[in-house]
Amino acid sequence: MNQIDGIALPAEARQALLPRHASRALPFFGVLLFLVVLGQAAIVVQARPQDLISGAHGMADILRRSFPPDFSKIGDTFEPALETLDIAIFGTTAAVLMALPLAVLAARNTTPARPFYVLARGIIALCRSVPDLVWALLFVTAVGLGPFPGALAVSVHSIGMLGRLFSEVVEDMDMGPVEALTMAGASRLQVFSHAVVPSVLPSLLGIALYRLDENIRASLVLGFVGAGGLGFQLLTAMNLFQYRTVSLLLLVTFGIVMVAERLSAALRARIA
Amino acid sequence: MHPAMFHTAAPGMIEAENLVMRYPTGRLALSGATLTIAPGDLVAVLGHNGSGKSTMLRCIAGLLRPTAGAVRVAGEELTRLTGRKLADARMALGMIFQHGHLVRRRSVIANVLCGTLGRHRGVATSLGALPWSEADFAEQCLDAVGLASLARQRADTLSGGQAQRVAIARALAQRPQAMLADEPVASLDPEAAEEIMRLLRGLASNEGLPVVCVLHQPELARRYADRILGLRQGRTVFLDDAETVTPQQIASLYEGNAP
Repeated sequence: MNQIDGIALPAEARQALLPRHASRALPFFGVLLFLVVLGQAAIVVQARPQDLISGAHGMADILRRSFPPDFSKIGDTFEPALETLDIAIFGTTAAVLMALPLAVLAARNTTPARPFYVLARGIIALCRSVPDLVWALLFVTAVGLGPFPGALAVSVHSIGMLGRLFSEVVEDMDMGPVEALTMAGASRLQVFSHAVVPSVLPSLLGIALYRLDENIRASLVLGFVGAGGLGFQLLTAMNLFQYRTVSLLLLVTFGIVMVAERLSAALRARIA
Repeated sequence: MHPAMFHTAAPGMIEAENLVMRYPTGRLALSGATLTIAPGDLVAVLGHNGSGKSTMLRCIAGLLRPTAGAVRVAGEELTRLTGRKLADARMALGMIFQHGHLVRRRSVIANVLCGTLGRHRGVATSLGALPWSEADFAEQCLDAVGLASLARQRADTLSGGQAQRVAIARALAQRPQAMLADEPVASLDPEAAEEIMRLLRGLASNEGLPVVCVLHQPELARRYADRILGLRQGRTVFLDDAETVTPQQIASLYEGNAP
């Protein structure tokens, strides 16, 4: 707040004005600005609530045709379900292995030199800013259809997410033990494995488990762009208008996501 | 505590000569402090916040490189060393901080064993394995601070005073030739503070180690130290036997508006 009404004011005047005027004016302008932003958003997305009402008939039709779920095909869902899970497990593990050294380089208190820090931050930012769906499209083009491009996509995107969170954990770490062991004459590597690792390991495991849970959901969607798993089955069934298979697949998906979430939360609670 | 149990080499003299420290910010924290500590001597360093007492200790410990001046431990010049040689030289100096600085999620005995890492530089210990061959010795070190019964307990279950005693045991596990303590009792209750000071006194009197202890409490310094070094704005105000230091001398350290 260096300016009020576009006029630069001296510091004293600013301080005298702000408390009285700002407290009443700011919330009002804030709400007004938000309403303007929301209004243009509604126009741009072409929001037409009446379409929901006229479309209700079509929705009901789809729901009727998807019921009951076709449980006779439950056996066929086993393999794609496993594929989805494995994409997440493989992708997350690979990402953790890559993110760990990157995080150490990208944390201000452990990086050996400035160029490493900048490079590691750059890699992390690149991996993170490109969505996993886009990575999947790229890898499908590169290595062809199937679960492997999915695993690669999950892994590359996760390197970015994990690298950033890991490096934050390392930066927030208590440097006391590091100093104490350095004083005890321990080597750099020993200081790392005996002071840094024990302090940050529980947080890192927790973050990795949470990421696994997120990646299971991500790998379901990746099937839509040809990266295997339940998503691919879902897309195929949709295109063939087999709505009873679609509803079955959705139930399986729901089950997997629920179990994964619970399991990951329970494990994280045990580590903490 | 048996005499000379914790060091293989003889306790060494600490010599700090004309230490000058100017921080990159331009602040002159230390301007020409000199201190020689013989084996068995406990020197307390007193001074206002910002008087340079912690800076001086960190220069002696090799955690800071002084702008000018020299630090010799057992005759070896510490200020010129780097890398592996500096790590080796640091092993000769046991250091205790204001907080225990223990690895909180590991057991007490594991923390003490960390003190021996400098003697066990190998692939296994670099990957996180502890030098368990030193377990008996580590227990002796714990015994010396009266905490052998807590060996298997996790470090984060200890009280502040207990953690500080474990930190002393870890420093002993280094087989130090000298002990440095940076405000070791600043965050402890009076009872625990007395216990820590008694231990440090014992290390000087019984083990013959030279001990440098930065303190905030003049009263503790007078009772436990052999000599007291008074610092003010990075300069030595006095360096006298603890009995002969007058309350006026001590008050002069804290008077006025030191930075």
